Amino acid sequence: MSSERPLFLNFARLRFPVGAVASIGHRISGVLLFLTLPFWVWALERSLRSERPFDWHIGPLARVALFLLAWAAAHHLFAGIRHLLSDVDIGSSLRASRASAWAALIGALAVGLAALVLP
Amino acid sequence: MRLLSGQRAFVLQRLSALVLLAGVAAATLRLAFGAPAGLAEFRAWAAQPLAAAVLLLLAGALFLHAWVGVRDVVLDYVHPLPLRTAVLLLVAGALVLLGGWTAVIVVTHAL
Repeated sequence: MSSERPLFLNFARLRFPVGAVASIGHRISGVLLFLTLPFWVWALERSLRSERPFDWHIGPLARVALFLLAWAAAHHLFAGIRHLLSDVDIGSSLRASRASAWAALIGALAVGLAALVLP
Repeated sequence: MRLLSGQRAFVLQRLSALVLLAGVAAATLRLAFGAPAGLAEFRAWAAQPLAAAVLLLLAGALFLHAWVGVRDVVLDYVHPLPLRTAVLLLVAGALVLLGGWTAVIVVTHAL
């Protein structure tokens, strides 16, 4: 059994099941939310102080940023709920955890796309 | 750093997550089922002392949650001790500044 262990962490050969994708996505989205914290605080300030806080033209670059921010917030939320539930042993079976991982991934992408379409 | 490590960090990470989850749920329900709300309503609501207290609680949970989460990521990936200390100090400084700025925004709006 031990001889079957990989000697190198070759990312092309690592198995990356859907639960792992949802989990690393939670981490990546969390770091993204942290790095964009100045923007969130600035947005709070504008929304409380300025009469017309977000009266700007949304170009292609801003659309990409908008998608990323909405995706990061939604994925961190959905995958976080999934982790909280697994803390209390809800949805821990392989079948349920794979289903909830897919739901978090797809739900977060849907929120990201909705943020592109809505404004 | 002992103050926010080990099991205490683990528990605070989950408690702050629950507080933030309640905030997101309340805001979503308000937007989904309340009367159409604009920025003017949000401003009037945030000017009340109790609402400001709620916003401060949410901000506190957010910055605590961010600290424990980013700290975990840094401990996992940044191994040389001087670099790790520098990155953690930078993160802590940024969070204190942003948290302070948030508190000033919320409190001055309510005053």
